[in-house]
Amino acid sequence: MPGTILENLSGRKLSVLVTILVLSQLACFLVGLISPSPASTQSILATVCVDDKPQDDKLNHWFDLGCSKKIHLEREESTIGLDANNLVFAMQMPLHGQDYSSWQQNLVGELQIDVIYKEGQKLSNPMIELLLDARIAYSDKTKDGGRTPWKYYTHSQTKRFMDCIFNETFVKDGYPYDCTMVPLFELGSLFHDYYLLNLRLPYDKKKEINTGLGRVSDIYLHTIHMNGGFTKVWVSLKTVFFPIILAIMIWFWNRVHSLSRKPALLEYMLISLGGTLAFLDLPIEYFTLYFDMPYMLFLSDIRQGVFYAMLLSFWLVFTGEHMLIQETGEKNSLRKYWKHLSSVAVGCVSLLIFDLCERGVHLVNPFYSIWVTPLGTNLALTFVICAGLSAGIYFAFLCYMIWRVFKNISIKRSVLPSMTQARRLHYEGIIYRFCFLMFATLICAAVTICSFLLSQYVQGEKKYDENMDLELTSVIHTGVYGMWNVYICALLMLYAPSHKRWPSEPICAEGEEVEFSRLSNDTSTPNEISSLTSFVAKANIE
Amino acid sequence: MMFVIRITCFVICTGVLVIFANANVGAELAIATRSKNRGKGSMWWGIAKAGEPNNLSPMSPGALYMDTSVHGTLRRKQRRLARENTGLLEAIAKGANLAINECQFQFRNLRWNCSTRNFLKGKNLFGKIVEKGCPETAFIYAITSAAVTHSIARACSEGAIETCYCEKHYRRPQVFSNGNTGSVTTNVRDFEWGGCSDNIGFGFDVSREFVDTGERGKSLREKMNLHNNEAGRSLVQSQMRQECKCHGMSGSCTTRTCWMKLPNFRVIGDLLKDRYDAATRVIAANSGTLKSNKAHSNRLPKNPTALMTNSIHTKRENKRKHKYGFQLKPFNPEHKPPGVKDLVYYEMLPGFCEKNPKYGIQGTHGRQCNETSEGVDNCDVMCCGRGFHSEEVVVVERCNCIFHWCCEVKCDICRTKKKVQYCF
Repeated sequence: MPGTILENLSGRKLSVLVTILVLSQLACFLVGLISPSPASTQSILATVCVDDKPQDDKLNHWFDLGCSKKIHLEREESTIGLDANNLVFAMQMPLHGQDYSSWQQNLVGELQIDVIYKEGQKLSNPMIELLLDARIAYSDKTKDGGRTPWKYYTHSQTKRFMDCIFNETFVKDGYPYDCTMVPLFELGSLFHDYYLLNLRLPYDKKKEINTGLGRVSDIYLHTIHMNGGFTKVWVSLKTVFFPIILAIMIWFWNRVHSLSRKPALLEYMLISLGGTLAFLDLPIEYFTLYFDMPYMLFLSDIRQGVFYAMLLSFWLVFTGEHMLIQETGEKNSLRKYWKHLSSVAVGCVSLLIFDLCERGVHLVNPFYSIWVTPLGTNLALTFVICAGLSAGIYFAFLCYMIWRVFKNISIKRSVLPSMTQARRLHYEGIIYRFCFLMFATLICAAVTICSFLLSQYVQGEKKYDENMDLELTSVIHTGVYGMWNVYICALLMLYAPSHKRWPSEPICAEGEEVEFSRLSNDTSTPNEISSLTSFVAKANIE
Repeated sequence: MMFVIRITCFVICTGVLVIFANANVGAELAIATRSKNRGKGSMWWGIAKAGEPNNLSPMSPGALYMDTSVHGTLRRKQRRLARENTGLLEAIAKGANLAINECQFQFRNLRWNCSTRNFLKGKNLFGKIVEKGCPETAFIYAITSAAVTHSIARACSEGAIETCYCEKHYRRPQVFSNGNTGSVTTNVRDFEWGGCSDNIGFGFDVSREFVDTGERGKSLREKMNLHNNEAGRSLVQSQMRQECKCHGMSGSCTTRTCWMKLPNFRVIGDLLKDRYDAATRVIAANSGTLKSNKAHSNRLPKNPTALMTNSIHTKRENKRKHKYGFQLKPFNPEHKPPGVKDLVYYEMLPGFCEKNPKYGIQGTHGRQCNETSEGVDNCDVMCCGRGFHSEEVVVVERCNCIFHWCCEVKCDICRTKKKVQYCF
């Protein structure tokens, strides 16, 4: 029975392959160098417009920077006689005569409301409940360089909480409260060129609407969008990886099918892992250039989630299949792993529900937030904690299984000296290569975790005046993304079944590596795809 | 090309040479001679009063620029900046007003109370005190320059100035061309490629160009003004606070983006007041450490052709990194040399007690003081020992105020008997 390519590949070929993989990995890091940071922000200060007729509340009446009546909130005399319903905070996106491009993918809006302390007017409650009436309009460029009139996009009345702290030791007139940011909206697509936000903070004493609000001096909208340059680099990476992974998958499946036996569980796992990676790599971002696809954020969450779920399940099954305790003649199936896999399933399903509740609802209402109601907060927390717990259980399981595999290996290793030299060399090679892949997985995981921590650190430490030409965050993103692609390509290639026939003549591969024939009493069951497992089964017999 | 020669000469040569190199001699003559004789860079403060925006109908962009009275107070470089950046003058006017208000707030209890005069032409807004190298002057220079930086950055966020630049405006095109994408990068493509968000950087650079343009001499006072201008700007920059938002998968922190938050100007005013209280006295370093040339060469653009495009953008890189190349020596050699954010001065005025029309000092005659205070508004301090008289008045005050969003403060009217003291 043939083993996998990993065991039958000569040392030289293996090293060539590994070099190619490492080089493509390096290329992924280098590609990150030409890319700008993944996302940029633009802080937009609201222009305060006066709405003379707030009572006829029409959704097609928009206030932009050119509104006829503007006031400055810091000048008290200019606000005399005005009502909260008169004030419209207009934010036009983007600033500086620019226009959004579809390459910028999505837009997140975060409100900063500057509340000023005035002598004798302390906030009654530092936790301010806000009711925001937010409306978004869009406009496009016309061919003659003008703009189309504002058109209604979406609107909502939504509740938010803002926590304001005031340092009692510095109680001074005119000092700002230290208030938290208020997340406002999330647009899944940037299909139009210009967007306009009209924000109102209505006031109603009887219904207790916005009664806790203090003296507002400024309202900023911080918008975050993906950088077109980063999307271009990212999509190019996907465009390169997608056909490669597809080709490798086809090659892999052909190999499996050319065998006389049925595909083993691990082979099914590998092909589905390849499938989820291909799904993740599918560059559907190109379509956003021509179609309005507000579900892109949600879809990319789903794609990543499916991939991670598959990767985690694969690790479990992979370790389990190398458990070295061989039941005889029984075909392994996923059913055997239901206990282990249920932790992955529970975690992923709870994250999916959480995502549906937040980003799924954003498709209908971009202003929706699950965190504003106590019920929603509890629900969201339940799902997140549930996912966290299953992640913990999963890793406990995985570590336990890996520990058992290594324990078994070390037990079998002690039997090695009693074997003939040829067999011993052979099995030592297999163990070495198995450990090599474990090692590769560990390295990949460690690099991912370290780069994640590093990117957190880099962003946290980013000083204003720093003139660093290198954009570390995007290097990390492309590098890690490329790494997992390379990793799975390597898995598919190295764990594809080998065509070398056993028993065969000992092949002297350029005089370096001697591949030894199997033992004659090798009667392994077809479900064993690795000769390592067969070796252990035999060792048990011995 | 003519334009380039003119500008270069303007920076290097004396005012007289400028006149010869120039075509429209008449207008320039007036500016050049006036600025040579008077308080140098401080002329532009006048636009604070000129650009008083109406309450409900702000001026249309560019209206201020056309105003001839404003025009007269500006130097040629300042006018060019205003021409190239629509909306800049309005922002600067707002900034100047902000500075005056803040200065008067900070000094409301001091002998010198930052009084301004409503003179647009001919005389300085703050009076001739700015011709002295005293701590108050240091404060004025620092706070006006800080306020202009702050105000321009704000105007950028509001969309009032359209020329504010993109964050990687200078670096990105080079990297971009290395990437062999082969397309020509324009400003708009820059935004698509890497976004725009560096408003404080623009404020800092334009403020430096605009405010510092008057201080071209080699004397200690000009060095002092430059240093204090820089101190104000640095303080604004150092008070920027970072805020971050996670927006990765399912809103997790796999992708996090940060931005800088502009500080409230009251905070800047307070910090500058602290710096004023701890201002460093400096002396002219005659042993050649006063590298006046360096300050000059820094201000020259490295690439003359770059001047044909927007002059602020071209000088950004070398400007931001290097400070002006001089070091001021502390008066007391045991003290540390002043840091970038420290205010410096080199002389003290005899006092602010008596009216001194020469320097525009009002004196403290008739100023209100506080008998019981232990601070600087104590009557003994404020009245310079001349004594004070006390009046008992019934003060009608607003009290127990409750604020109602947006624009209403409901207060009780309280009548209290109060003793008020005034200096003789």
